[in-house]
Amino acid sequence: MSPSELISRGEYFSQWRGGGGQVCAVFPAQYPRELLWAHGVLPMEVWDPPLAPARAQGHLQPYICSVVRQGLELFLAGGLDDVGAILFPHTCDSLQNLASLVEDYLDPPAPSLFFYNPKAPFAAAAKGFYVAQLQTLERELTRVFGPQPPEGMARALEWSRRLSELYAQAYSRRAAGELGVGAAEFYRVLRGGEYMHPRDYIPLLEGWLASAPANGGGQGQGIILSGVLPSPPDLLETLDELGFRVVHDDLISMSRRLLYPPPGEGDPYEALAESFLSMPPCSTRGSSLSERLEWLKGLARAGGAQGVVFSVVKFCEPELFDLPELRRGLKEAGLPSLVLEVDVNQEVGGQAATRLEAFGEMLS
Amino acid sequence: MSLSAKARLQFMKDLGLPAMLRLAKATKGKRAPRAANPDFGPPLKCAARLKEIMTRHYYLSRFAPGARPVAWVTSGAPVELLRALDFYTIYPENHGALCGAQKMGPELCAAAEEQGYSSDLCSYARVDLGHFFSGKTPAGQLPKPDLLFCSNNICQTVVYWYKVLAHRLGIPLVLFDTPFNYGEITEANIAYMKEQILEMIPVLEKTAGKAFDMQRFMRLAELSKSTSQLWGQCLETMRARPAPMTIFDAFVHLAPVVSLRGLPVARDYYEILLAELTERVGQGIGAITNEKKRLMWDNIAVWYKVRDFAELFAARGMNFVAATYTNAWAETIQHLDMSRPWESLAKTYSLVILNNNLKHRLGLMEKMVREYSVDGLVVHSARSCKPYSLGQYDLKSLLSRRLGIPAVVIEADITDYRFFSEEQALTRLEAFFEALEAA
Repeated sequence: MSPSELISRGEYFSQWRGGGGQVCAVFPAQYPRELLWAHGVLPMEVWDPPLAPARAQGHLQPYICSVVRQGLELFLAGGLDDVGAILFPHTCDSLQNLASLVEDYLDPPAPSLFFYNPKAPFAAAAKGFYVAQLQTLERELTRVFGPQPPEGMARALEWSRRLSELYAQAYSRRAAGELGVGAAEFYRVLRGGEYMHPRDYIPLLEGWLASAPANGGGQGQGIILSGVLPSPPDLLETLDELGFRVVHDDLISMSRRLLYPPPGEGDPYEALAESFLSMPPCSTRGSSLSERLEWLKGLARAGGAQGVVFSVVKFCEPELFDLPELRRGLKEAGLPSLVLEVDVNQEVGGQAATRLEAFGEMLS
Repeated sequence: MSLSAKARLQFMKDLGLPAMLRLAKATKGKRAPRAANPDFGPPLKCAARLKEIMTRHYYLSRFAPGARPVAWVTSGAPVELLRALDFYTIYPENHGALCGAQKMGPELCAAAEEQGYSSDLCSYARVDLGHFFSGKTPAGQLPKPDLLFCSNNICQTVVYWYKVLAHRLGIPLVLFDTPFNYGEITEANIAYMKEQILEMIPVLEKTAGKAFDMQRFMRLAELSKSTSQLWGQCLETMRARPAPMTIFDAFVHLAPVVSLRGLPVARDYYEILLAELTERVGQGIGAITNEKKRLMWDNIAVWYKVRDFAELFAARGMNFVAATYTNAWAETIQHLDMSRPWESLAKTYSLVILNNNLKHRLGLMEKMVREYSVDGLVVHSARSCKPYSLGQYDLKSLLSRRLGIPAVVIEADITDYRFFSEEQALTRLEAFFEALEAA
């Protein structure tokens, strides 16, 4: 498959709905997508809809991040009018209140569903609580979309494991310099999983991995890309143009959640809980700074990265709080870092490019 | 804990500090009293007692290390668990408010920013981290904690903030994770919180070096309950016309229920305050002399502007008689029930305003508008506090429309006045005053 064959979120949504499929819009970040697949429902993730901010400004203060702002803009623009439900996982204060704002004040066209992710350090009680959350969500999904078909969950878990394998292949080939694509293409393809059903997406990803060149992915400085999501696109293009080689990432929307499949044995809900609890440290999960620091250092060591670029969404408190200690610890470990504050869907501009260029020179 | 440190703390508590306070009082130069502002009624007599209590608390805290385990605690955490283990508790948010009121916010925030903390982060956190890095505080000195005790029932921010402290200090961080109530509280949530309490007790015991005494916990929880109830009764006196205190007074008199909840001194203080307020109601003494309009405040105080705002509104005969913020330490205490200690503790702390959905907040504010005969609403959009602020634009419009009362949003911050435009705030308030006076 060539990346040009990857259809857009909007087109895929129209096709899916045109075929009579059900859709659940999902706000960031971690949620049990397998449960939705098990019901035959397509989770359509809402991270950075490319809309000009207009209506949302009347509802949100200027100090609210662009992920929340763009998500609300999509809702207010009617972009979620044709979904069967809207799922709000608990991620941060702003997304928590966005969920309540939509549900309590803005008369959503579809039922709101909520999912509370327990916070680290995970008490022994966390696993049972997570399972209880799954059971509640299962009841809600059944109420909204009808019961799961037979084998629905088993198939969903298989898709989940297969996808994790493919993501892991993509990540490991990239880290080893055996995937000849730049950051822009890598993330454009992998982000297809945010809106495509695994039935369609798995063959597409398999095809892409089979056809992607085995080398030529850049010989420049190896970096870890950390932050919320691989956006805006021109940041990734700039990284490619400057010859950076992203050897791994520490992005909330990507490796902090996609590479940890549910175990193959036992109760499906227990397996999903295991998957959640095994995910890497994340600011939004309340992981300790020492865990995050060790994790980042480990990623850098494994991929031979020379530095870390933090691409942080402006006003993102969970990420911004972690930065100073992470940077201090990385520096002590001989890993320089650079922070870029970004707004999703706004170009990073020339100044950021200059800073990246200077950072690259420093690493070389 | 060392015996000598214990003896030193006890000595300072019983003899040293009282002697110092007497000496300070005797040698204090006679300052010319501030000219009485004719817009205000007589000041509350028990303000002097409040000052003494809080001075004692902060002063003695410097003798606590080694004598008692020290914990830094978030304002919404179930402190009763710590009280039963004899922790000396410091509330960084209360300290942040103190720094804000002393107009030290920007200086301390800048100290945190120099270490890489973004100016977009909560300024309570930046003030605290700035104090941590610089050692500066109007309280003289804060004791280093042995443990951090945090609940995300007020925000997730405190988790991120306390993680930094835990990392820097290398001490345990105990989190009480309270799932947000998108709707009614669920049994699964209560069970999860109860299990966490049972899991955290051994951790607290280890730091405290003593066993958890259930009987003592229950006694202190009852004390905490009566303290919050008394605080609630103090606030209820403001239903009277004229109200015997303003919400700006309440912002200050809130300190013991936040910082000393579960200790006899806090309960005793509110008995005195309630008696004085009740007496004022009986005598028709108002906090302001000409109460023409009654207002409600939403969100945390603008600490560096408390006096200025009090004077600005009082000059127009406008008194704030209710606030969602001050109400928060009384609103849920009725759930605390020692026949079901853990479940009820979970419920009490989970149902606080900031861990509850916006529908709840709208209903609560509607109720308060009616019960306190509120004529207008001032909404503080606090840059520092996203869970309190996100949703306020709609909240303001809905309340205003449903109840037919004027409302205004002012953009400010709780301690960092670099993010406050006085001119813009006054322009908005002038328009609000006109609407209110025309209503």
